[in-house]
Parts: sequence; structure tokens; C-alpha cells
Amino acid sequence: MLCEWKTEWMKVRRKKIVLIPAAFLLFTFLWLSWAVRSTHVDSAEDSWMWLLLCISIVNTILMPTMIAMLASRLCDVELKGNTLKLLCTMERKGRLFDMKLLTGAVYVEGYVAMELVMMLVFARTHGFAGGLTLRHLICFLLQCGLVSLGVLLFQMLLSLFSANQILPLAVGLAGSFLGLFSWFMSSPFWRVIVWSYYNLLAYIGQNWEESSHVVSFYERPLDQTALVTLLAALSIGYVWSRQLFMRRTPGCG
Amino acid sequence: MEYMVETKGLTKQYRGKEVVKDVDLKVPKACVYGFMGPNGAGKSTTLKMLLSLIQISAGQVTIGGKSVNRKNRIAILKNTGSLIESPSYYGHLTGRENLEIVQTLKKVPKQEIDKVLKLVRMEEQQDKKVREYSLGMKQRLGLAEALLGSPALLILDEPTNGLDPAGISEIRELIRELPERMGMTVLVSSHLLGEMDQMADYVGIINHGQLIFQDKLEVLHEHSRGSLRLCAMNQAAALRVLKREGISCTLKEGALELPRLSDDATARLIDLLSGGGAGVYRVEEKQKSLEEIFLSLTGRRGSL
Repeated sequence: MLCEWKTEWMKVRRKKIVLIPAAFLLFTFLWLSWAVRSTHVDSAEDSWMWLLLCISIVNTILMPTMIAMLASRLCDVELKGNTLKLLCTMERKGRLFDMKLLTGAVYVEGYVAMELVMMLVFARTHGFAGGLTLRHLICFLLQCGLVSLGVLLFQMLLSLFSANQILPLAVGLAGSFLGLFSWFMSSPFWRVIVWSYYNLLAYIGQNWEESSHVVSFYERPLDQTALVTLLAALSIGYVWSRQLFMRRTPGCG
Repeated sequence: MEYMVETKGLTKQYRGKEVVKDVDLKVPKACVYGFMGPNGAGKSTTLKMLLSLIQISAGQVTIGGKSVNRKNRIAILKNTGSLIESPSYYGHLTGRENLEIVQTLKKVPKQEIDKVLKLVRMEEQQDKKVREYSLGMKQRLGLAEALLGSPALLILDEPTNGLDPAGISEIRELIRELPERMGMTVLVSSHLLGEMDQMADYVGIINHGQLIFQDKLEVLHEHSRGSLRLCAMNQAAALRVLKREGISCTLKEGALELPRLSDDATARLIDLLSGGGAGVYRVEEKQKSLEEIFLSLTGRRGSL
């Protein structure tokens, strides 16, 4: 298994894939820096809640596009050079799928970890008192880490089967918009699309008082139905995607 | 005889239509086996079935004495090199980096890379990105990937496609040498009959999905039933003698073409023609070209 894992990293040499999450992270940082200047939060607790909510919304917009780009870069190397028929004489197809997904997951979860570090640095540089609570940390990882894994699985499947990578990239972009709309429109439809789970698993809410123009933040209880649905969809989606990949690529077994 | 590849009743159906029917291939060890047939005859489909790249509808494949199944296919195929249809490569990587990926997956020593680069004469281009390679260079890289680890069996599907004449000659020479130099069995497909004449020891001919011939190349040549070509100063006199002796002949390109005769009968005929004033100045035995043999076997006319 180790050599298959190693070859995935050998394949992405010179692709400069790390620049994609780095650019998105920088953009997120600049966005937060711009947003914090026009925001007045009173308490230390509110500062953190503002930051976490802001990150949740920014991630809803940026992560689907970033993941689509990542998945596309990881998968098109196989399509461009017609390598699957060669690989499938040396490597089990199921394992190839797993290794590709794992490589994508390393990038995505690496991004989540870097974003966490960026939040801590941001909070410190802007004088946010207190720290990240354990609940907030767990909720952040569930919301950002888990939903992004689901998005990655979906995008990877699209990229592996698309000769033209414009389609998966367009789907990723559409996912960004759909996810954003889900924050502002309530509908049961959002439960069936993966991008809206950034909102469904949000753990901070806000109230805006029109008369005073004051925004107050509150803790949103974790939507357990959404969490269970996402976990189930991830498990079923993984098994189904793997089977589909094994059926539709050259090589038996 | 020991066979490196043996198939029994190998069949492939696409939507109920049989594209490969009951093929019983027998590829002896350490030889070049030429797998011939016109375009669309089922060559690539058969080779893909050998490599388990497509599901077999019916039949069995045995490689190196082991029946190939889902569980052991990777273990068997790791000792097999293949180049099917077009070379596989990562364009953003150099030739050497591409080979390193295959070397890692095949778990063979790194020194093997230098060996195959030398074999396919690609040492100078190894550090160039593959997307900058010509089609011929990509084909060589594909061949180098297939040769990594000195596999016991090499399956090549039209490996000279896209190569210039010098490249074609080099690759043929290389394929020709592999059984002797490295003990490999090479199963190579082509629709170019002349190519097989130059490199194969054994030949299999497939047409409309059916194996219509399989034996040594010499046996195929025996099928040629060559004719005699006779040039005479006085064709009318020669025709009179031939008619009198009851030997049928046709006039082709200014010469008389007769059916093949025994050595005694040929000697007697030449005496008679000389006596009859035919003025024979050339008698030659004409072998059917491989193409003519193929056409007589398949009953097909026109381009292959």
C-alpha cells in the first residue's frame, strides 16, 4: 500500500498543487482583515463568535471552488496521459481510488488545519481575548473538515469521469453559490445537496436588530440529523463511488 | 510444448454481438508471436482480455501456467509488460520520473530504469518533460515502461504506430532480440504483414473475431503454394509447348505464370521449351507474399 501511496505524490510533482490552498488561505485572511475593520464587537466572546461565523460563511463560498480545483488537478493527470490502463495492470483499482482520495483528503484537511492556525493568529493580532473553546473547535472540524470531505468525494468522482475538466469546475462553482444561498433561504432541498451542509452544520448564529443596527451572536445547537445524514451519505457515497470507479475504468478487480 | 499464454474459448460480447469468438491462443515461451488481423478484427480486444483490462464474456486465460482470475491478476500482470493502443504517460513529468512511478509500482530496483532507457535509446531525452516528446519518443517511453523489471511476457499492441522508418526498424530489431537476450516472450499485434515477416517466429491470424490460423511463420509460408514465372523470347512457341503438355498458364506482366511443379517436371519442361524454340531466358519460383496468403486465408480483398 505504501508504494501506491508514494506514487500518488510522485504523480503530482511539478503540479504546484499546494499553491491552490495557499492562495485560498491568503484570500480568506485578506477577506477577514477587510471584514474586521467594519465590524464592532463588544465582548471577547462575541469576537470569537464573529470570527467563527465569518469563517463558516467564507468557507461555504470558497471551499467548493477550491476543492473542485484540487480534485481536478489530482485527477486530470491520469486522464491526460491515458494512464489508467497502465496503472490497472500494476495496482488494484479500488486501491488506486482510495489513494487518490486520500491524497485529496491530505490537501483538504491540511487546509482546514492551516485555517485553524490562521484563525488563532488572526485572533491574537486583532486582540481577541480568550481562546477557542473545545466545543467551537469540534464543531469547526465537523463543519469544515467533514463537509469538505463529502465535497471532495463528489468532485473527485466527477473529475475522474470527465474528459473535459470544465464540467467539474463549473459544478464546484455552482456549489459555492448553492451553499451560500442555503444560508439565506430555508428549504428542505438543502438537505440533499452536500454544499449546504456548511450551513446546516453551522454552530454560531446571528441576530440583526434592524432598529439599533446591532448584531448579536448566539450558539446554534448542532443539527444532529444533518450530522447523521452527512456521515451516512459519506459512507454510502464512498462505497458507491469506489464501486463505480472499479466498474467504469479499464481493468477487472 | 510449454506455452507462456494460452487461452481457451476466449470470447467477448458487446451488446450481444460477439467481437471475439472462441479464440484458443497458444503462445510458446521465449519467442515473438505475431498477432495479425485487419483493423477491427479483434486484436486489441483479445490483448485487453489477456491483461484483464476488459471483462471476458467466456473462456479462460492462462499466463505462465497460471489461470488468471480476479485475485491473482495483479501478481501475474506484475511480471508482464504491456503497451496497448497508445503509450501511457504523465506529460508534466520527465521520462525518467514516469519510469520511476512504474518502477515503484512494480517494486523493481532503480537500476532497471537506466537499463531500459539504454535499451530503447532514450538516455539523452530522459530529463525532458514527456509533453515535449514526439509521438515516436512517447512510444519508446511506453516500451521502456513495459520493459521495466524484465517481465517474462511483453504484450505490445501495434508498437510501431507513429514511428518514423528509422524508429520502426529500431523497435523491430529490439523486439526481435528480446527473446534471445532476455528470455522474454513477446506477443505483438500488427496489421502490417511485412512487419511480422521480419520479426515473428509464430503467427496467429484473427479475422472477424475468429482465429483463422496459428502456427510457425514457416508453416504460413508453406501455405503460399508458390508459382513458376517463366520468361521466353518466343511466347507463342512456349504457349504451344505448354498447351501440348496440358499445363495451364496465365500471362502476367510479360511473363508466363505456371502452377508450381516438382523439380523433375520443371527440368523436363525446360528441356521441352528449349526444343520447341521458346528461347527461355528466365525461370523463377514466385512465393506468395504474406499479404496474398492472408487474403487467401480470409477471402478478403483490398486494404488491410
